[in-house]
Amino acid sequence: MVKKLADILAEKGLDINFQYGGKAPEEMIDREVKKEPFPRVKKLKDQYYATLSSASLEFPYWYTRKYKELEHEIPVVRRAAALKHAFSHINPTIWPGELIVGGKTYHYRGSFPMPWESEGYYMAKEDELYQSALAKGSASSGELSRFGSGGGNVTKSFGKVTSIAGKFGIRSEEVPALIRCAKEWVGKSVDDLGNKYEKMVPEYDIKEKVMRSLICMFDSGFTLPLGREVINYYYPLQYGFGGLIEMCKERKNEVAGRADGDGVTGMDRLYFYDAAIMVLEGIQAWVKNYSKEAARLAAIEEDPQQKKEYEEIAEIMDWISTNQPRTFREALQMTCMIHFAVLNEDAISGMSPGRVGQVLWPWFEQDMEAGRTDEGQVLELLECHRMKFTLIDCFACTGVVGGVLSGNTFNNLSMGGLTKDGRPACNRLEMLIIEAGMTNQTSQPTLSVLYDEKLPEDFLLKAIECNKTGTGYPAWMNNQNAIQFLTKQYGPEGMDLEEARSFAIGGCLETSPCCWKELTLNGKKYNIPGGAGQPTSVGVHFIANPKVLELVLFNGYDYRMKEQLLPPHNKKLETYEELEETFKEYYEMIVDCLTTCNNIQHDIWRKQNMCLFLSILKPDCLDKGQHIGNLGYRYNGTFNVESCGQITQVNSMVAIKKLVYDDKKYTLEELKDALMNNFGFKTAAEVDSFSLAAQEKKDETGKYDEIHSDCLRAPKYGNDDPYADQVLKDYEDWFCPMCTKYESLYGRNLYSCQISVSTHGPQGAATLASADGRLAGTTYADGSMSAYPGTDKSGPYALFTSATCWDHTQSQNSQMNLKLHPNAVKGLEGSKKLLDLTRAYMRRGGFHIQYNVVDSKVLKDAQEKPENYRELLVRVAGFTQYWVEIGKHIQDEVIARTEYEGV
Amino acid sequence: MSKAELRHDDCRNFIPIDVAKGFCNAKKMNVMIDTPVCGKFEALPKCKNCANFKDATEDNMGKCVGFDDGYWAFADLKAANCEKYEAK
Repeated sequence: MVKKLADILAEKGLDINFQYGGKAPEEMIDREVKKEPFPRVKKLKDQYYATLSSASLEFPYWYTRKYKELEHEIPVVRRAAALKHAFSHINPTIWPGELIVGGKTYHYRGSFPMPWESEGYYMAKEDELYQSALAKGSASSGELSRFGSGGGNVTKSFGKVTSIAGKFGIRSEEVPALIRCAKEWVGKSVDDLGNKYEKMVPEYDIKEKVMRSLICMFDSGFTLPLGREVINYYYPLQYGFGGLIEMCKERKNEVAGRADGDGVTGMDRLYFYDAAIMVLEGIQAWVKNYSKEAARLAAIEEDPQQKKEYEEIAEIMDWISTNQPRTFREALQMTCMIHFAVLNEDAISGMSPGRVGQVLWPWFEQDMEAGRTDEGQVLELLECHRMKFTLIDCFACTGVVGGVLSGNTFNNLSMGGLTKDGRPACNRLEMLIIEAGMTNQTSQPTLSVLYDEKLPEDFLLKAIECNKTGTGYPAWMNNQNAIQFLTKQYGPEGMDLEEARSFAIGGCLETSPCCWKELTLNGKKYNIPGGAGQPTSVGVHFIANPKVLELVLFNGYDYRMKEQLLPPHNKKLETYEELEETFKEYYEMIVDCLTTCNNIQHDIWRKQNMCLFLSILKPDCLDKGQHIGNLGYRYNGTFNVESCGQITQVNSMVAIKKLVYDDKKYTLEELKDALMNNFGFKTAAEVDSFSLAAQEKKDETGKYDEIHSDCLRAPKYGNDDPYADQVLKDYEDWFCPMCTKYESLYGRNLYSCQISVSTHGPQGAATLASADGRLAGTTYADGSMSAYPGTDKSGPYALFTSATCWDHTQSQNSQMNLKLHPNAVKGLEGSKKLLDLTRAYMRRGGFHIQYNVVDSKVLKDAQEKPENYRELLVRVAGFTQYWVEIGKHIQDEVIARTEYEGV
Repeated sequence: MSKAELRHDDCRNFIPIDVAKGFCNAKKMNVMIDTPVCGKFEALPKCKNCANFKDATEDNMGKCVGFDDGYWAFADLKAANCEKYEAK
């Protein structure tokens, strides 16, 4: 009989499905808090469940056509004209029952490729794509119904639908045009042009190997050049698109032909304002087209209620195409259109709306005071807003969308924090935003509480109640930690304490620089927060820490790739200190080559493909007359180094230290032999699964049993064990300052970012067995502060002590995920315990914690019967996603996480 | 174009949902794109219905002569917002 890892671990008392604090009941326990959305939203949500991720070519076609026509124009104007052409030609769709309209494309869950960023992943499959489309015959209705009514990912072609990038469906009729459009960008895309110049970097050869071996997950310069940042809705909300166009025209006249003391970029201001006018006109036309479409639908609609709603939409869209919004609904609608416009401008993951409840407070307050609306109406609109954000898809290659993002788009809405003058910033609208997150449980926008000791109890308990729905949001971020990090990182660019208080989370948990702007509505003034910094999705992303350690042990050679990846260090590694030093040397070599090559990619991007609409939105581009690439933003030191799997790496170093160097029970060669032979287990490829639970024993001689057992039993992070925690502290005290030695293309230092998203899956798949006992090919520990599944044996407070053995304010973030059984937080008493637990972690200096309130048995059942769980949401690592849309290896990892039966 | 060749997403009453289906605004129900259209069919402006779409090929490609650039186009491109659209 084949022995599986799960059985072997159970025999050793190391249950892969470890429960702490009691034993879960035999029966499946549902989540305690359950609520329903408004009927219209329920319909829109049901439609979402039955909608396929759909790609179309409308936007890329019009963009490419105009871009090609203006071959001799200067880049910024050429890009603006192409964007205007695309926005003004794409077709709006309005679905019956919607109160908030708009979207990236005419599909309900639509997106599109951007070959000007990268066309390689189409071209590589060109023949396959093209032939697949031509070979398609007439469609089978049965087949279409089955696929059309199922989950959202189009992983296989069917009927007249072709699957691209592993997730999106495109109409087969459009495939030849897709190929043609992509071909237009060969040699011209950011990917191609960047590659031409990055090859000039002396260390390019190492960089290429690092990418190929998956030590680094992706090149941010052409995959996702923007994101994990906070948008800023201020300018359109204050001036309207019409007012902004007039402002740009005035500024254009003022700067034309004048350098004003800046001999390098002073003259660029004219082109920027000219470009800004074009982009704004394109977006204005796009918004107006929604108004026209609503009016057309109203004219033919027979149902009086629906007709009235179409008429209202027509009026709203017409008004906000030019003017400052008058009502809460108009303001909310405008923020959606701004958001979709930004997402259509570039490939972005994690364009966070920021502190929406504080941004829209002026309209909410005045509408409520005037009796123009009530909380029920606002709640319904907020539920609609959630639907709109959940429909957002990000189009990129399989490795990024699947491997990194798990299909998520990370539009994080922040709440709480402090006002400019240091008072609690939460408000009644944020309570309704939380309520909408409970009544309409969807993956987007995910929610975050900027936890501060000053925040009132009722607000915090409301957020806890939301956690108990099992949606995984809100996540909890430490406001004071963030403020300290921001003033340190952005102090040289002028960030002070007041400004730091405006921050919000960009992406899943990236502390992002923001600013306050004074908004006037009907004569009353408000300070509202919004993004003022560059993306933080950029830099060195993500480094597989356990893989780096593997290369140290094997002298730079990758046995999976069968290739010498890094120059051999040729050291005997006779002491732990030598091992640690070599790890640092290799790591820095990797960061260095990735930084230089990445800088070139982003430099090409800013010269050829700079964002313009987003530049208009973010201070201080409009004031300076400079776009993002010319340092128009207020804060530009946002590039970072992201790590992955650091707890697996730390646990492995602890095991090596203990077993090889301190106790001397094994030689390093014996350990390496065990790792090479996967502790006597089959390889993940042989098992055909990268999941933890599925790994099977191969060697029956028992040759590696003892060393495997010792590795598994070696001290582990997460148990308040100083032996293990010191290794983490030493690592952090080196890693965080190390990142700052590197410089981005904008002349600012990099910094530490510690999140995993989903990369602990694929990067784990590329890594041999590790000295902590983890088997080859399986996932790493998630996040950066989460314990490896089943190894946190001493309860949450011991885990917190381990996690806070270092200063989290040295880093942009850290990430801790906890899985709680619903019974552990039952009732009001359970809510208060959960709040106490959260407070305890924040008070010890932890930056972030988030909860999966779910019975692991439900997850196992959902894995077996996914058809019964289309609506099941889980928290993965910084994001909430539908269970059925995440890969099995990540599902297994979430199931395997320690389940806390009591807090 | 014969009726047999028409698809639901060629119709003005079709509100697209995804690459397989949409909502028929005439019959108020979801319909699959690749199923026969009904008597309420009303042609949606697309390049293939435009007088400026020339040199059509079997793989749905062609040339747009509506603008000066004479750029390529594809038959299923929606053209409701195209200033050069001229129904055949």
